[in-house]
Amino acid sequence: MTARTVTRETLTHLALALGGVIILAPFAIMVWTAFVPERLIFTGAGPGDLTLENFRIALREWDWLSAYRTSVVVAVITFVAQLVTCLPAGYVLARHRFRGHGVATWVMLGCLIVPGQVIAIPTYVVISRVGQLDTILALVWPSLTSAFGIFLFRQFILTLPQSIFDAARLDRVSEFGMVWRVVLPNVKPAITAFGIFSVVSSWNDLFWASVVLQSPDNATVPFAVTRFTDPEAGIQYGAQMAAASLAVLPLIIAFLVAQRQFIRGINLSATD
Amino acid sequence: MNSLHTRLPRPHIGLRPPPSALLIPAYTLLFLLIVGPVLVVVTLSLFDYDPLLGAAGFVGMDNFARVLPSDDFRTALVNTAVYMLLTVPVTLTASLLVALGIHSVRFGAALWRSVYFLPVAATLAAMAVAWRWLFYADSGLIDATIGQVLGLRDWLHSTTLALPAVSVVGTWENMGFAIVMFLAGLSAVPPHVMEAARLDGAGPWNRFWHVTWPALGPATVFTLIICTRNALKVFDQVQVMTKGGPINSSTTLSYLLWERGIRFLDIGGGSVITLMLLALILGVTVIQLSAVGRRWERAGTR
Repeated sequence: MTARTVTRETLTHLALALGGVIILAPFAIMVWTAFVPERLIFTGAGPGDLTLENFRIALREWDWLSAYRTSVVVAVITFVAQLVTCLPAGYVLARHRFRGHGVATWVMLGCLIVPGQVIAIPTYVVISRVGQLDTILALVWPSLTSAFGIFLFRQFILTLPQSIFDAARLDRVSEFGMVWRVVLPNVKPAITAFGIFSVVSSWNDLFWASVVLQSPDNATVPFAVTRFTDPEAGIQYGAQMAAASLAVLPLIIAFLVAQRQFIRGINLSATD
Repeated sequence: MNSLHTRLPRPHIGLRPPPSALLIPAYTLLFLLIVGPVLVVVTLSLFDYDPLLGAAGFVGMDNFARVLPSDDFRTALVNTAVYMLLTVPVTLTASLLVALGIHSVRFGAALWRSVYFLPVAATLAAMAVAWRWLFYADSGLIDATIGQVLGLRDWLHSTTLALPAVSVVGTWENMGFAIVMFLAGLSAVPPHVMEAARLDGAGPWNRFWHVTWPALGPATVFTLIICTRNALKVFDQVQVMTKGGPINSSTTLSYLLWERGIRFLDIGGGSVITLMLLALILGVTVIQLSAVGRRWERAGTR
């Protein structure tokens, strides 16, 4: 490397570090404040003052275990339901021509454009009429299938070689068996990518939880955080930061462990 | 179904369901979860519906006449547009610069990519709680640093600064996604074209403008559409940080539809706001695709 390229490389790293500090500052201050005792929160604290008191308050004031459990249950049900419905649909759209193929494709693309907000009020009306507000069913209901999932699997299955399907057909594999025994083992990268997308979306969702939840009983993690930190709840900032740290932790850990899959997941879903 | 059946080689005797039967679970749900509700929301916008009593009365265009001229709605519409203008161009420009930086370094690229991607993995509702603390009057990080430089304070309680504050959070959150998109686009720039341009004596600016930028076309269009869509439906940080306030100064369409339709149970009014939001998202997407989509996609294949 010449001196000039070394200088350029160093300057680029410096610029990236400057931006990186801005990106990471909210995390750093959140975690730091979570350990600062309430009496020092506005005056500043040193490393010797740090305490776990805020986490104790956060855990005393809210049933976080229940929130985690609800969020995990919702994420799992959502992902399984989406996988089971989207994979066969994606396969048929990619590998078969039939009457209505064009219509089916357009319906999928149309649903892809409609954001969750648009279905909120009618779905809320129905769910409240049948007395299912505040339930797990209400939380997972709008995500039982995914237009995006169908689209992603269709795109991925289009890239598979025709020969594997022909071979299976000669072996008289049924269409159902085709999805289960031929498509499934060949689309694992797409399943990982879609799984990450699906779990991240349902874990992070606040809007839908705000629509169908009224009591704290079946609170998901994001819903719990917002209720906990509602100014009316009167809970101090230190405990709020402890709660926010607890809420962010699972996905951050998952991301740090599986960075490549995470990024590929987001990537694949876009570049198809 | 039989016409399908005969087209495919079927060595079996007896009737089998056509392959399109595999569409039934997914498409039944799509109709129940999306297509149906979209039709219902159109109907609800024409009724005065009381969800507690289940009583409905047809009111024609009354809900539209009531909501569309209201200050609440107009403010939310303007705020949503302003939020989009504050976040989308900044997100795209900053992300492109960061992506070019990350793409150019010889080592540490994966580390930087992870750093900038971290906010995407973090739960926005919880991070908005952290951001509210950063925006805390005077002692918060924002007032203590840029606040001192620019002479601004207490963003979240200011009618002019509350919307920019939630825009900062939206930009911070979306950049990781846009950077990853641009990095994918950059890695698709054919190295031999870049090398040829270098040999032809093209400088860094010319190489960017004539090689990199056209190749980034599809990635840019896609990122633009996704970021715009995210901006038009912004909700989380508004609910956590400002609750639409002070005096509606940061109320967006999504927030208003939730507040009106779900919290205050104004189903008819909420449905009108829903339809306006849907029209806005569809309209903007179509305009973007027709204005930049074709040109950039063509440029990308050059």
